[in-house]
Amino acid sequence: MNKNIVLLKNLLLSTSRRNSYRFCKDRKKRGRIVGNAVGQAVLYLMLMAYCIANCVGYGAFGLTGSIPVLCALVISALSFFFTLFKTNGYLFNFREYDMLMSLPFEAKDVAACKFLYMYVRSLPWYLSVSLSMLAGYGFLAKPSAAVYPVWIVSSLFLPVIPMLAAAFLGFLIAKAGAGFRNKTIVQTALTLLLIFGCFALRFFLEDMFRNSRTEAVLTSLSDATGRAGGFYLPAGWFARAVTELRLSDALLLIGASLLLFEAVFIPVGRSYRKINSALRSHAASGGFVMTAQKRRSLQNAIAFKEFKRMTGSTVYLTNAAFGELLCLLAGIAALFVDFDQMIRVVLQGAPLTREMLYPSIPFIIYFFIGMVSTTAVTPSLEGKNYWIVQSLPIRKRTLYQGKMLFNLYLTVPFTLFATLAFCISAKAPLLNTVLYLIAGLCLCAFSTVWGCVCGIRHMRLDWENEVEVVKQGAAVTVYLLPNMFATMGLMVLVVYLGTVMDPNLVTALHILAVAALTALCYLWVMALTKE
Amino acid sequence: MDAKRAMLEIRGYSKTYGEGKRAADNVTLTVERGDIYGFIGHNGAGKSTTIRAVVGVLDFTEGDIFIDGHSVKTESYQCRQITAYIPDNPDLYENLTGIQYLNFIADVFGIGAAERQERIREYADRFEITDSLGDLIGSYSHGMKQKLAIISALIHEPKLLVLDEPFVGLDPKASFTLKQIMREMCAAGTAIFFSTHVLDVAEKLCNKAAIIRRGKIIASGTMEELTHGASLEEAFLEVADE
Repeated sequence: MNKNIVLLKNLLLSTSRRNSYRFCKDRKKRGRIVGNAVGQAVLYLMLMAYCIANCVGYGAFGLTGSIPVLCALVISALSFFFTLFKTNGYLFNFREYDMLMSLPFEAKDVAACKFLYMYVRSLPWYLSVSLSMLAGYGFLAKPSAAVYPVWIVSSLFLPVIPMLAAAFLGFLIAKAGAGFRNKTIVQTALTLLLIFGCFALRFFLEDMFRNSRTEAVLTSLSDATGRAGGFYLPAGWFARAVTELRLSDALLLIGASLLLFEAVFIPVGRSYRKINSALRSHAASGGFVMTAQKRRSLQNAIAFKEFKRMTGSTVYLTNAAFGELLCLLAGIAALFVDFDQMIRVVLQGAPLTREMLYPSIPFIIYFFIGMVSTTAVTPSLEGKNYWIVQSLPIRKRTLYQGKMLFNLYLTVPFTLFATLAFCISAKAPLLNTVLYLIAGLCLCAFSTVWGCVCGIRHMRLDWENEVEVVKQGAAVTVYLLPNMFATMGLMVLVVYLGTVMDPNLVTALHILAVAALTALCYLWVMALTKE
Repeated sequence: MDAKRAMLEIRGYSKTYGEGKRAADNVTLTVERGDIYGFIGHNGAGKSTTIRAVVGVLDFTEGDIFIDGHSVKTESYQCRQITAYIPDNPDLYENLTGIQYLNFIADVFGIGAAERQERIREYADRFEITDSLGDLIGSYSHGMKQKLAIISALIHEPKLLVLDEPFVGLDPKASFTLKQIMREMCAAGTAIFFSTHVLDVAEKLCNKAAIIRRGKIIASGTMEELTHGASLEEAFLEVADE
């Protein structure tokens, strides 16, 4: 068997939960593996239901023809951003680097196998999107039978080009960061800068497409999707391959993906060892001079440990700081951009006034802040170092209180700043402002304790790569999805209720509800950490 | 010249970290076929940095390292085909079983089914972990992981065996077995280069050794040349404290 296939197979097997289940003798652990698999299946089903609902929506407005481009764009965008967040952990700085690089593999083959591993592991997500949209398109457009295999095969290649682009950018970031003393900080800053740049580009392009609209909004939506398909060539190739059954376009997509795959790993392979050497080697600087040391409370000491853990990992820092930085940028933007103009841009002319939108301010902030809760990942991130806290005289409860304290230290200042900035920009009355600040604090507390519940219940210490728990962990997914869906639903409900009753009363009720939920979750954490 | 004959030749190897600190400074040494070469030094002296460069894991700019005449810099792949490396704290795939991991290594080196079965059986029996090969590596103790890493290094019969603190974590019987295997390999012409803190072991096992301090080789040669009739411990303390 080809050595690269052996390596890829082994990489997949080494993180396969099925393999762990097969050989694990611990019944509790086996039960957790099954639970995680069921949870993951539910998430796939949720994603598929969301995609089908999207198709139904498109179909209802007579936009069935845009579904293939939409599918291509969704898969491309998801694969690009997910890869950007994961590249640093998967391609560089992985734990078994020494073992792998001492075996007879070419550096470029190790990098390529790591990429393929990332691709195969993400494929179920992209296939969930593709197959559900194919079902929707098939039901609505009733295409010929030949469309189905072309769609399925072509969609397997859809994530390749965006993933390669993201991996290459990740490689450039790692290469640039490797030259600095504070490699983690530099790499995180560059990654976040790139992500924010992509977001800005997305808004710019969307605005460009929409500015030229002359028809109704729905036609414009289809037009925008079509234009995006023309702008991003692989989406256009995919759409033409499935709508016009142009095999040449399907072959173009496949050929371009394979060619780019070959091309990207030549430069990556050349610098791979050098970058990893720089990222993994740290010389002791020496010359330490003992000065006065500071005593901290136990919870604060744990919180500080969490802070150092976060700033010591590019993958963790990028994910944890992303929401806070978005929040900070949104707050700064709110201070300089007219609130009414922001409403027009975001709501695309929906008939809502600033007063009606006041109660949504805490939700907007929480949408950024609540994206990640460090408490959902830190229990798992202890990994092999878990013995340290286990062997110390720290009560489990205190340990998690320290972890929760850190998340509050991280989220509260940003929440307060952004809420205040939004309230100033929206010229919200003082009472509203105070209520939104309290609501923001409650939401921070909720995010912290709910994250902690998920983190403890779905703790996984036997990870090979921290991306597995930071980006793909069951704790993160279980924390995020209900949280975000509930936030969106609640935001709509609160804005609606604010139009039929006193908005401040609605906010007060909202605060009470979140506070009650927070208290419940906190009690849950206490129960989970009872010794 | 010698690069063709020596199994491992380190010529003027230096490694400078980004912070400007030289972890290895003009390291030069030669390990011949059949040598058991000890690499001795304090913590942080540069042993692991040198070893990681030898096995092609760590990039370096100054000097060169040759394995059986192949440059680690330019022919890294060829070097790794004939080398086996056991790190001080092996990070193995914890979700694989022991036998799955050994099969992976055997696949990488293209070892036939019958051959690998025979070798795995032999070494697993000698290290007494045959019964545990079907268990997940994650459930192994540190010593068992170390034994598995050693077996994985031996099954492809390397020409050069590089070990970083190989006796740490091994029980006395496993240590004895490893020393026995090292002697057998040495007799068969394999070169062995290993770092250790245990000077007694180095003295009894090695025919050559080098002492490294702050990245520089301060003494090297045959055991007799190094000790001049004294114990290695005395010789080491004498030169290390100078």
